[in-house]
Amino acid sequence: MPRAETAHWLFAAGFLFLGLVLLAEAIVGPSVFRLRPWRACLWPSLALFAGLWLWVITIFSTFSTLHLLAHALWAQAATAAGAIQLAVVRERLTSPYWSLVTSGALFVSGVSFLVHEQNGWLFARSAFLHHLIGWMLVVSAVFPLGAAFRPRRAVWAFGFAATWLALAVMLFADRDIAPIFGHLSDLAGGTP
Amino acid sequence: MRRALAAAGFVVLVLPSLASAHATLEATVPNEQSRIDAPPTEIVLRFDQSVTAPPDAVVVLATDGRRVSGSVTQTDGGTVIRTRVAGLRVGEAYTVRWRELSADGHIGTGVYTFGVAVEAPPPTEAVGASGMTWRDDVARWALFVSLALLLGVVGIRLLVLPRVVDPRVERRVHLLGTAGAVLALNAGIAGFVIRSANALQVSGVDLLYADLSPFAESTRFGIAFLVTTLGFGACLTILVVSWALDRPALRWPAFLLAIALVWGYPLSGHQATEPNASLLGQVADWVHLVTAMLWVGGVVTLAVVVWPLAPDLRRAAFLRFSRIAIVLVGVLVVAGTVVAIERLPAVADLWETAYGQTLLVKLGLVVVALAWGGIHHTIVRPRIERGEASGRIGRSLLGESTVAMAVLLVAAVLVNGAPPPVEGEAGSTVRSSVP
Repeated sequence: MPRAETAHWLFAAGFLFLGLVLLAEAIVGPSVFRLRPWRACLWPSLALFAGLWLWVITIFSTFSTLHLLAHALWAQAATAAGAIQLAVVRERLTSPYWSLVTSGALFVSGVSFLVHEQNGWLFARSAFLHHLIGWMLVVSAVFPLGAAFRPRRAVWAFGFAATWLALAVMLFADRDIAPIFGHLSDLAGGTP
Repeated sequence: MRRALAAAGFVVLVLPSLASAHATLEATVPNEQSRIDAPPTEIVLRFDQSVTAPPDAVVVLATDGRRVSGSVTQTDGGTVIRTRVAGLRVGEAYTVRWRELSADGHIGTGVYTFGVAVEAPPPTEAVGASGMTWRDDVARWALFVSLALLLGVVGIRLLVLPRVVDPRVERRVHLLGTAGAVLALNAGIAGFVIRSANALQVSGVDLLYADLSPFAESTRFGIAFLVTTLGFGACLTILVVSWALDRPALRWPAFLLAIALVWGYPLSGHQATEPNASLLGQVADWVHLVTAMLWVGGVVTLAVVVWPLAPDLRRAAFLRFSRIAIVLVGVLVVAGTVVAIERLPAVADLWETAYGQTLLVKLGLVVVALAWGGIHHTIVRPRIERGEASGRIGRSLLGESTVAMAVLLVAAVLVNGAPPPVEGEAGSTVRSSVP
């Protein structure tokens, strides 16, 4: 059974790449970025790939029902967001309101992160990061939401890219057992 | 007002809650589902965090329900719970039921078994585990419906409908096939959790924090759940990519993968675990399932896709499906007969056992569905060949689909039921089980 932090780092690598792709698109603008059509498919493809990988993680998460359900939910959220966005960039779907699916996927994923973390913020680093990631995903749902109603404003694209970069940093910082701000609960093996 | 909301949000985000913890079982002595040579003198459970052990934190039970464990003690800073055991016999299996109170106030629970000079039974057969309930039947029914959508609708689109169809037909096929994959995943998860809960004997919040790993790793249905979850996840991804890229041919790998995944159910059901189980029975069960799903899915496709959306396609689709349906139903009946003969050692079991009676109900519904299909074949088909397709036929197809769904419901009850006992290897009568 792989360690949880190993799986988190793998996802961090993927999210870092995704964040850089989105940041590049936000900086140069979609019209330049998508001069080569395959580039437009990068982020939806990565989301679909993440969804597939999350099913692998799901079947390793049977140590509690809550973890099993949370990972299954993330897998479905990533697949839904990736599929819709792929259809958008391939012009099968044209309404900007389809961005609401990505917004919903982020919100649901964030809530799921918060619910599935049973420990408090300062219990250990992983618990702190899970809380932080959960709240960040919930808040960052506003970026695709804004893109649905004000698609021309660049702030949504920058915010969305920054979300994935921040998520990557948080997941890279994750350890199964490590202190946060010098604090590690004695229940997790820290000094009482 | 804005500032107040912002301040409230800031407080919620920044204020750390009290450090609390939910523990996970890391190791046990003896190991979960292990076979050991000599009776142990104590049971040891090691958690990843400190826990509080209630008086009945670890209860060890013999197969006759006799309790062989005493009071519990805690060591290693509360991360280890121990209990002395006495009176264990060689050649007997034992059930360990554990409970711990984590620092976050949640109660973690789990169950596992071990055998002394015998193989450990699966945790679903732990002492105190309940049998199947109506919840298992509903989850299994949802799974069958999902397979009918995934296998049947996608399969009939690939095998029966022309390569180029009305975009609305294509869209609805995509929708139903994808819905089938999503339902298959979630029904599989629900079925696994419900079945584990039956053995754990917990519900509600306690179930959320229950350890399901012994069921996933040590039971046939658990392993089938892991494989099919991964497989249906891949099917879902392929189907949505096929839709997004507008590449209908990509549905072939999803369809073929789904057919292969159906094999997981005979391998984890009665066809593989009964004393008289045979490879022929497993193959027959797999063929029975696949052909049934193709047939049901085909009728559903005609009723909710072709008839309402593509009037010009009705004639060709009906006639082509009609030809395929004859073969499907023929194979379905033969395969089902092979399975029934293997599961029912005596003809009288049909009316004397609950399993046989459920099978009779299913057969009755199948006869209704087949008769309905027969009317379509003998009366409606000639009319359609003459170009007299009408809306009434669409309603009739919906009726046949409804009966088919009812057949799937009874099939779900049947699959979860226990077949009558059969003669074991040593000539003893063996009670059915599906580990």
